[in-house]
Amino acid sequence: MGCCYSSESETTEQDVNERKPLIDPNQDRKPTNGMERNTDSLPSNRTDEQAQLTGILQRTALNIIDVSAVDSQGMEQHEYMDRARQYSTKLEVLSRTLSQKKPVPLPSLTSQPHQVLAADLVPFSDVQQVSKIAAYAYSAISQIKVDAKEELVVQFAIP
Amino acid sequence: MEGALEQYLDDTMKNPSIVGVLCTDAQGHNLGCRGSLSDEHGGVVSVLARQAASLTKDQTDSPTVCLESDCGNILVRTHGTITVAVHKMAS
Repeated sequence: MGCCYSSESETTEQDVNERKPLIDPNQDRKPTNGMERNTDSLPSNRTDEQAQLTGILQRTALNIIDVSAVDSQGMEQHEYMDRARQYSTKLEVLSRTLSQKKPVPLPSLTSQPHQVLAADLVPFSDVQQVSKIAAYAYSAISQIKVDAKEELVVQFAIP
Repeated sequence: MEGALEQYLDDTMKNPSIVGVLCTDAQGHNLGCRGSLSDEHGGVVSVLARQAASLTKDQTDSPTVCLESDCGNILVRTHGTITVAVHKMAS
């Protein structure tokens, strides 16, 4: 103990800690700027994020088409007229082929649908008649059959 | 062999109100026709009958398709393997 600057031969541990310099003079330190200090403090997260952001920025810059910045080349008058004529002939050809491909509209069954719909129903006798006709026709057609007259397979007589 | 069918179609046409009759097989092949119905109607008639038959699950009940217009009715019915269409004027 003692007052300020009273020297004692043996240094206590407390004194050692007190007198230890804060900045080590032996360590070689480069002059640091703000960036390095940042990277040192938050190492991996920040660099990844930065890398991702720069990547996105680069991709956008590659893909973007800035219409306002494009300098349009002026076309000469005759070239313009030629192109207009070319396009109009192409359109004519296309419109011709397209009109041919239009589907044929369905034929109309009647010009007076109200009359047909309001008319009497198909009489049941007619339906019965048709089913009778169908049955008779079926029996008539069943008479059409293969009439086997000869043998299909014959033996050749070998003398 | 088709004589019976041909004869029967002629007899059917004798009915004054019937102006056309047509017989087709399941694929629309024309087996016999008279009057206003002809070869070109075979496909449509067979398909109409087949589609109408698919409306009901009951295989034994064959429906009769009626096309009504101001120039008569066309009734289509399937029996067995053949489809018959009759064009009949409204009486």
